[in-house]
Amino acid sequence: MRQKSHPVIKLTGLVKQYGTGDAEHNALDGVDLTVEPGEFIAIMGPSGCGKTTLLNILGMLDRADEGEYLLDNNDVEHFSDTKRANIRSRQIGIVFQNFNLIDHMSVIENVALPLTYHGLSRTKRLEAASEMLKSFHLNEREYYMPWQLSGGQTQRVTIARALVNKPSLILADEPTGSLDSRSSHVIMEELSELHQKGNTILMVTHNPNLTSYASRVINMLDGRIASDKKISVSGASTTQTVTLKSTKRPLNVTEPTSAQDKKPKNKDKASKSAEKPDKKEAKIPPRRGRRKR
Amino acid sequence: MRRLLIFDHLSSALHSLRANRTRSFLTTLGITIGIASVTTILTLAAGVANSVNHQIDDIGGNIAVVRPGVSSSTVPSIVRPISPQQYSTSTLDEQDITMINAVDPKLAVAPIMTVDGTLKARNGNVSNGMVVATTPSFIKTTPLAMQDGDFIADDSPAQSAIIGWKMAIDLFGTDSPLGQNFELRKQTFTVVGVLKKIKNPINFNNIDFDSSIIIPFESGKKFHSGRSQIQQINVVAPDSQTLQTAVPKIEAVLDANHGERDFAVISGNAIAEPTNTMFNVLARIMAAIAVVSLVVGGIGIMNIMLVSVAERTREIGIRKAVGASNINIVWQFLIESLIISLTGGLIGVIIGLAVAYLLGLFFLFTPIITLETILVAGGLSLIVGIIFGIYPALRAASKDPIESLRHYR
Repeated sequence: MRQKSHPVIKLTGLVKQYGTGDAEHNALDGVDLTVEPGEFIAIMGPSGCGKTTLLNILGMLDRADEGEYLLDNNDVEHFSDTKRANIRSRQIGIVFQNFNLIDHMSVIENVALPLTYHGLSRTKRLEAASEMLKSFHLNEREYYMPWQLSGGQTQRVTIARALVNKPSLILADEPTGSLDSRSSHVIMEELSELHQKGNTILMVTHNPNLTSYASRVINMLDGRIASDKKISVSGASTTQTVTLKSTKRPLNVTEPTSAQDKKPKNKDKASKSAEKPDKKEAKIPPRRGRRKR
Repeated sequence: MRRLLIFDHLSSALHSLRANRTRSFLTTLGITIGIASVTTILTLAAGVANSVNHQIDDIGGNIAVVRPGVSSSTVPSIVRPISPQQYSTSTLDEQDITMINAVDPKLAVAPIMTVDGTLKARNGNVSNGMVVATTPSFIKTTPLAMQDGDFIADDSPAQSAIIGWKMAIDLFGTDSPLGQNFELRKQTFTVVGVLKKIKNPINFNNIDFDSSIIIPFESGKKFHSGRSQIQQINVVAPDSQTLQTAVPKIEAVLDANHGERDFAVISGNAIAEPTNTMFNVLARIMAAIAVVSLVVGGIGIMNIMLVSVAERTREIGIRKAVGASNINIVWQFLIESLIISLTGGLIGVIIGLAVAYLLGLFFLFTPIITLETILVAGGLSLIVGIIFGIYPALRAASKDPIESLRHYR
């Protein structure tokens, strides 16, 4: 599908500034990053270190103030707004931290929304969205409104929407941020599956346990990449740059083996746990109270 | 590849409008009122124009009128409703009537001479009532039907008078005042005939016969010191061929009589032109005022669309994030404002036509729906929708996706 000859993303000296005068600070302060096709990158770091800003720039929702961003060897700086929209529509799927579903549209309409801008007919859109929801065990929730869903279901809907246009690059901002560990692993299994299908995934997370699913772990600090560690298939890890802060991750060193052991178990659990609560909740009347917030 | 997504925008817009029913209704109402007034005015104006033209056609179109003075542009008469000539002595006199009669015996010729004065009867006074002095042949030049009695004839007494039904009620309190007397400038007249209600209060004679009194020509002359003071001479021919040959002859004999061209012979639709022009100019001025209300309606649309855009900032951010281009967003909001303005326009046209018909019953002439009126009303609502919808739409499209996504409501 994708030519392996060049990286999907190549960032050189990326800088993003916020504020002016005394309040001025660099959310991104010279980020260099090369992402090869098919990588699953987990980006970690304390809050305010620029993870989300980086993801927004990669998703072309935001522009960098300095530096170069090559997407498939094309300099994004020269893209028109329309071209950016077109690329977002066809190549990139974004999973937002705070879901960002449209309140007044049903689940299936939300999932079908990206296809609208492909120019697909309504019937085809809804078919594709229904298919996608099925793979997330949400087919019984198609005509629910977003505020009638549980947190885990909402997150799955968000991911379904990001994937419905079959993007080659998936950007996920804390996709498991508000979920308990069981729901988190369900989501991670889905992402992992997509990774195995050859998609490139960049995921921001706070949870060190989840990095075990990634093929590469990046730590960010104060707008820079503090450490960049590839986890090879054999399990051996290569660290490119190690700073003082990278000692923060002894968890990771112990975690991979246990996490990989868990994996197959989780998969079974995942599909069960995804269906079970659904059936339970189907009897509970929709929670209208949430809308008012 | 990229379609305009017109149906998607339509359903999205309808959803948004339905979600705020009251708001949408009130905004639409603003446009409805503006378009309804424009439609009513244009329809009535078309009705008036038609009514005057139709009357000339009723007589077979074979009518010419001779008016004193040189025919000039009629537009100044709007600025100065009472032209100075109205008080000057007419250049037409009785001799002219005789000479026109001599041109062709087949022609029916009748003068119109108006007389000022207060009408006094036992039951009441009518000041400044319209009194027309004319000859018996007038009935041949103007379609008037009698309700009671007969029209003045050659052998009618000098003191006989024909009265319009409305004037009869105003003056005598009854619509059949046959045989009753009234006084005009110390002369007493007796009612010998009552006119039927006429269809066209606005006509080429510029006289509303419902509220008029017709007296014999000779009696009228007495009020002008025995001199004739003719405002208009109506000439009706049995067919258009006769009229066409007669008009140059009339001009020739009158030229010879007057020694100069101080009169005008007008035929065909040109007769109705002064009346038409006046009503058209009036209608346009009123339509222009109605357009002001349309502008106010348009501002209402812009206002509501700006609110809608602000409310849906987050939605715009989401749509952009999943691949909507700026053009997609512009169309989404522009179509919403177009739905408001075109719906308002459609309802406005219907209401406007209904109002025009109701007024038509009251004014005794039939309003005419012309394609032009519909197109003007439709075009106006389209233009209002675009002009006042484009700014909110552009503002929506220019929103920064990141800023929009941060927006909580």
